[in-house]
Amino acid sequence: MKKKLFALFLIAALMLCMIPAAFAADDEITLDVIICQYGPNTNEWFLGKGMDGSNFVEKFEAANPGIKLNLDVVSWNDVYTEVDTRIANNNAPDILNIDVFANYANEGLLLPVKDYCPDDLFADFFPSFIDQSIIDDTCWAVPDLASARALFYNVDILNEVGVEVPTTWAELQDVSQAIIDFYDGEIYPWGIDMTTDEGQAAFAYYTWGNGGGFVDANGDWAVNSPENVEAIEYAISLVNDGYTNPNPATQTRYDLQDMFAAGKLAMVIAPNQLPTYVADKGGEINMATAGLPANEGKASSSVGVMDRVMAFKDDSAPDQAARNEAIGKFLKFFYDPENYVGWVSMEGFLPAVNSAVEALVAADPSFEAWLDVLGGCQFYPTAKAEWDQVKQGVIAAEQNALTGADVQAELDKLQAELTK
Amino acid sequence: MNTGLNRTKWEPYVWLLPSILLIAIFVVFPILIVFKLSFSEISKAGVIGGFIGFDNYVEAVHLPAFKTVMLNTLWWVLSVVILSTLLGFIIAMVLNQKFHGQKIARAIMVFPWATSLVIQASVWNYIIKAEYGNLNNVLLNLGIIRQAINWRSSYQIEFVWECWVGIFVTVPFVTFCVLSGLQSIDGSLYEAATMDGAGFWHKLRHITLPMVRPSLTVSTVLNIIYVFNSFPIVYTMTKGAPAHKTDTMITYLYMLSFYERKKGPATALSVIGFLILCVCAGIYMMTVMRKEEEL
Repeated sequence: MKKKLFALFLIAALMLCMIPAAFAADDEITLDVIICQYGPNTNEWFLGKGMDGSNFVEKFEAANPGIKLNLDVVSWNDVYTEVDTRIANNNAPDILNIDVFANYANEGLLLPVKDYCPDDLFADFFPSFIDQSIIDDTCWAVPDLASARALFYNVDILNEVGVEVPTTWAELQDVSQAIIDFYDGEIYPWGIDMTTDEGQAAFAYYTWGNGGGFVDANGDWAVNSPENVEAIEYAISLVNDGYTNPNPATQTRYDLQDMFAAGKLAMVIAPNQLPTYVADKGGEINMATAGLPANEGKASSSVGVMDRVMAFKDDSAPDQAARNEAIGKFLKFFYDPENYVGWVSMEGFLPAVNSAVEALVAADPSFEAWLDVLGGCQFYPTAKAEWDQVKQGVIAAEQNALTGADVQAELDKLQAELTK
Repeated sequence: MNTGLNRTKWEPYVWLLPSILLIAIFVVFPILIVFKLSFSEISKAGVIGGFIGFDNYVEAVHLPAFKTVMLNTLWWVLSVVILSTLLGFIIAMVLNQKFHGQKIARAIMVFPWATSLVIQASVWNYIIKAEYGNLNNVLLNLGIIRQAINWRSSYQIEFVWECWVGIFVTVPFVTFCVLSGLQSIDGSLYEAATMDGAGFWHKLRHITLPMVRPSLTVSTVLNIIYVFNSFPIVYTMTKGAPAHKTDTMITYLYMLSFYERKKGPATALSVIGFLILCVCAGIYMMTVMRKEEEL
């Protein structure tokens, strides 16, 4: 008898579970959204109480009846694993926030932006940002935010040593030697990150500062150009001469930022959020920014990093037009200056839309200078299908060079793989 | 009567069914999926395509880092399993003696085992940090060194540190396996041996080792599997850098899959690893069981 009662209870429980699905409105759309975790506030803003005591999901659903958000905030460490696993299981998210997009676009998984993004919103994005997400004349993603890299230096250290911030590679070597001599090696003059996290940034800093880069003037891969070889050899020589942190292959940008915040590192190339990061760590560093040092006679170039929002196709959706419209509403709500300004300034990033600039500059005048820096930035060629391979390839070349391998041979090998 | 006999025949299988189902769903099925994937084309984004034979295996073994990674894995497993077994055995012998604070000593031994591997590896990362690591701080404060030492000055040394952390976290498991074996030995055996004039080494060789062999077998086989499959230590300490020179097979296939987006070769490597483990564990078990039968 007890068993029968238990079975009945189970059946009743199952039926109760099905009630919400049965009563759900036929025209209700649920969007699966994956957002990357940019910092400690991301989760609070999207899902907690970080948006004026409420959160993005609650506010969006209140403003858009009939659209539900199933939103996950995923750490950068896990997001690739999660997205790839979901794609392999035919369960791609509807909306994804991530840095890369070319693989998804080339494999036909993404919706063109014009299918869901309202025209007025599309026109609001910085054109130079949109250009980075175009493959074969089609835009596949929109930028959600950006950051620009600059040289941060500890003013007190440089003043104490009696040197000026370096603008050329030769000056950088002289200043580094002076810091080493003055502090007897107690302070690292220069920070360098050649880890699997950001080794591609190191490649960009030095090769762009020597007139080289990932691609040539035609946009074809040119990783083994003489300028690139010279640049990476120079970067490796900084390490070998003892001017840098001792383990560039395992010390990430965050390790360098920690050292800088602790006054252990005199100069580091870092994103515009560094002052916020140092303050959060309790550091009180008298810091200033400057352009990245370049080789003699070559132009200095900063590095811009941009993340994106993209929408995946879902052939199983019963009403494609309604789904596209819902995605568009999500974007409109996200980029609404009332919401977007809070989002961008919360983590100290730079905006991707014109409509946010005025409000951001009004709130923090230092944004204006960074927006100028951003205007002159170069971006990684992420729209090219081989970018993943190139990114890991240049990191491997740098790391092998750190252990004594020949830079020319390493880059030649990578170039041969790319052009075979 | 017949019904009773029939019932005794099938009843054990009914009771086993839930376990068999769980194993099938959570162990056998994923293994079969990985085998299938290793023979399939997998795109950079993770889309699974058609059957491509052994192409993924061929690509995997021709990867530039393959040889280095396999050698690293061999050194990693051998050094961690052998040295932790040796150290664990010695510590278990000590903990089996009666002394003041014996219980506290045993409790302390559990700590490294009870802490997650990521935390262990992170703590060791801090200990050996050149800039403000605890090891340098202690040595500087004691006046033993005058300048901070870079304890990770080459990738070979970094790999040694990874092995050391592997040993450090594995020793407690071996210690408690051996300790349980030691505690089950009848004390009269040692008394009889002492009366016959046997010394420490004789007793160790002819009583202790044969009696704890089953415990050692279990700990060694499990350690081979755990250490081979261990991901957190290497990933937390070096992420295989520089250029996979400190990677083991498990971390390498992760990097291959999710950093380099070569998912096909990564699944092939995971199958190769699975087969290697099956062979190693099988050979070891057969050898030990044969010896036990001879005894």
